[in-house]
Amino acid sequence: MTFFADFCIPFVVGATVMFAAVVIKYAAWFHRLPKSDKLSILKGLPTAKSIAAAWEAVRESLLHRRIFRVNPVLGYMHMSLAFGWFLLIVVGWIETVAYLGFRWVPLQGHVFFKYFAPLNGIWEHKPVFDFAMDLLLLFVLSGVALAWFKRMKSRAMGMKRTTKHVLFDRIALSALWFVFPARLVAESVTCGIYGGGGFLTGGLGSLLDKALGQEALRALYEPTWWFYSCALGVFFIAMPFSRYMHIFTEIPLIFLRRYKLRPESHEKSYDNFEVEACSRCGICIDPCQLQSVLGINDVQSVYFLRDRRYNMLQQKIANNCLMCGRCEQTCPVGINLNTLRLNSRTTMRNIPNEGRYNYLRGLDRSEGEGRVGYFAGCMTLLTPNTLDAMRRIFDAAREDVWWADKDGGVCCGRPLKLSGEVDSARKMIDYNKELFRKHGIATLVTSCPICLRVFREEYDLEGIEVLHHSEYILRLMRQGRLRVGYSSERTFTYHDPCELGRGSGIYDEPRAVIEAVGVLAEPDHTRKDALCCGSSVANTVINDAQQLTIAQGVARELDDTGADTVVTSCPLCKKAIARASAKNVVDLSEIVAVNLK
Amino acid sequence: MKHIIVVGGGIAGMQCAVEAARGGAAVTLIEKEGDTGGKLRNWHKLFPTFTPADEVLSALRHRLAREENITVKTDCEVTAVTPRKVATASGEELACDAVVLATGFALFDARVKEEYGYGIYDNVITSADLERMFNDGAVKLKSGGAPRRIAILHCVGSRDEKVCQRHCSKVCCVTGVKQAIELKKLFPSADVFNFYMDIRMFGPGYEEMYREAQEKYNIHFVRGRISEVSPTIDERLQIKAEDTLTGRPLKIGVDMLVLLIGMKADAMNASLEEASGLRRQPSGFMQPRDSFLGNVESGAEGIFYAGAVTAPKSVGESLNEGTAAARAALEWLGATHKIDSQR
Repeated sequence: MTFFADFCIPFVVGATVMFAAVVIKYAAWFHRLPKSDKLSILKGLPTAKSIAAAWEAVRESLLHRRIFRVNPVLGYMHMSLAFGWFLLIVVGWIETVAYLGFRWVPLQGHVFFKYFAPLNGIWEHKPVFDFAMDLLLLFVLSGVALAWFKRMKSRAMGMKRTTKHVLFDRIALSALWFVFPARLVAESVTCGIYGGGGFLTGGLGSLLDKALGQEALRALYEPTWWFYSCALGVFFIAMPFSRYMHIFTEIPLIFLRRYKLRPESHEKSYDNFEVEACSRCGICIDPCQLQSVLGINDVQSVYFLRDRRYNMLQQKIANNCLMCGRCEQTCPVGINLNTLRLNSRTTMRNIPNEGRYNYLRGLDRSEGEGRVGYFAGCMTLLTPNTLDAMRRIFDAAREDVWWADKDGGVCCGRPLKLSGEVDSARKMIDYNKELFRKHGIATLVTSCPICLRVFREEYDLEGIEVLHHSEYILRLMRQGRLRVGYSSERTFTYHDPCELGRGSGIYDEPRAVIEAVGVLAEPDHTRKDALCCGSSVANTVINDAQQLTIAQGVARELDDTGADTVVTSCPLCKKAIARASAKNVVDLSEIVAVNLK
Repeated sequence: MKHIIVVGGGIAGMQCAVEAARGGAAVTLIEKEGDTGGKLRNWHKLFPTFTPADEVLSALRHRLAREENITVKTDCEVTAVTPRKVATASGEELACDAVVLATGFALFDARVKEEYGYGIYDNVITSADLERMFNDGAVKLKSGGAPRRIAILHCVGSRDEKVCQRHCSKVCCVTGVKQAIELKKLFPSADVFNFYMDIRMFGPGYEEMYREAQEKYNIHFVRGRISEVSPTIDERLQIKAEDTLTGRPLKIGVDMLVLLIGMKADAMNASLEEASGLRRQPSGFMQPRDSFLGNVESGAEGIFYAGAVTAPKSVGESLNEGTAAARAALEWLGATHKIDSQR
């Protein structure tokens, strides 16, 4: 057997292009990795991390476990295509080996094995393989059918909206849709002529034989194999340049992630793995409030990653994001969507006038003295009820407090960081760090989750414990230093700020504080699934009216709980919701301060 | 005799009732509060002539009392309006032939701008509070003392997207100048600062008063909004602002801060839109049929507008619209009357 026929050419060309493109891409990405990343890989390779990664790759790249969590049918669709195809290749390979023994067979020999070895009866195990291969083909075809169905009725599969695709994706997608039906037809026609085949190809083959006759089947024989080969060839050529690059890329990504590689504040080669591991499944679209509330359709993570990958990213897309993290929460590939967007912003940032920060030198407007420092943050200074409540809480707990910025301080740096101005942010961070050290505090309390996040993630405040006021207040209560009155007559609902909840993982502390004062009623979207208030400092594109529209949706959900008072623990969220709600909107500290005993 | 119901007993409604009655209609004037006069009841003096508000109000009340065909219903809240029927909160339904809506405006709640500290710090007051203090003859600090330095902040709840009030409330600029002069007259040695975005002196005599405020009264005008207010240890208020003419941040301590609160669309407008098929502008104020020849007419036949229900207006403008709405309603009734009798 020579394992060659003319119709193989499209497939062979396609496969060659694909493998060449993938190898060149990966080689370049690995080559350009920073030295520290390369070292992490070398260190990680011989450890258990690799085994864990391999198992994760099976779970996610083949079985798509995380998509099952979004919707079981959607999960099945992805699994049948990925795992089904994978098994077709593996079982096909075993079939070849079992038939021919261990010998070199060119790739097309494996793929078009039915063409090259159609004869039945020469080998006793063939019916078993025919059955297995047909079963697998049916498995994949059911996925293709679901994919067609999803195009028409995505809602039935848990997705309100699906991705709008670019040309390469459309070509690849169309080719992919044809691959398996084409295989079915080609193999069935072959079975119709030569006999054999399992319940599917064999059955369809004899049907075709009855319906069309041998002459017609013989005329169809070569063209059907040509068509199958073309569909594969087109798909393979489009693959490295389309979303299907994720099929391979998710695997190295899983390994690299296990070796602790992460995207950082500046773009680096590792980001390519994350960017191209995006399958553009579009699961990130539905959670995005810019989409669901404002109807903005071109900024979601799937489109951001696509634009970045094809070097056509514009600032108005990169900057139009609340960075609420709702999409990151659902991404089945686990891509660090916010970090990637941030480092894109950093790449595209404006270079500020250095003289702008001259005022920082020698500045110290802090007052008081104590082991506990309180950093209000600029937004808390704009919501003085919170500031006043904190003062009363400190007094009640007899805490000596160093007030970092009561009289106005220097920005924590997070808003600048969110705009990609990392160098400017660094100046703020260095200034504040120095200030905190100078005053010898052991604990730093802030009532702003935006400040909290940057203190914890960027400040490197060794020896100083950083607490959000919700954590601090709860600690005082548990230590018995703060006593509050409880009444079941008081009903509260709580809005999780993005930076505090998904951003810093603080969900329970504010709830414990509220429940010490009154009854808590949860809104529909809560904790990890909480909505964004819309006023995020990370979005510099949407206007005030749009922010308000988002806030109104949030306020409606909070109102629907029937609670008397809306509580949140972020000054920005408070302002955003207050202007959209008829209810009394307060900071967590306020309900504590007014109920002190 | 044709029956017109005027909803709202403020100055526009009073004027409208008087003019409609004089034109030969029977008028019912409905006021939700205990007395007619609306927001002017709590006002001290009117710009730019420093005419006491009381003088205007008593003249209006006098005219109202003289007309026999006017029935005034106070403490009566209107819930729904159609051209032929007005429903009240007590469940009463009043039949009529035409309706004039003179329901006016609401004052912006300064507590929404939490950063200015209204309701949190002593001696942060609104322009409406100050008028009341003028009326009571008790302009003083919480401690009882006289203010030595006063800041007046323009555009609180006007031209402010952050609180969903994009429109200009029109009268606050000149009110700020007027109140600054009055304060300066009371406390000649005090420093008075106006923090503004633009000074809009649109009426006769306003610009002259603004010039006088600077030249004669030495009132300071700083172009820049106040960003935040905080208390100081000596019980004063510290103001942070930016002087946008010099481009520099500014920080001063004052004894008193007056917030010139804007005019907001009345909450009732939303229910009018729903129940009566009337249209609202994006600002929340009612939308007149057109801005030139139909500015006291609504889109609906037999329903008319007078005064600040359609936009922020000065006292003079509101009075003129009272007259104009009465004339429009009478004219419309005359025309429909003719058609009715021809049938």
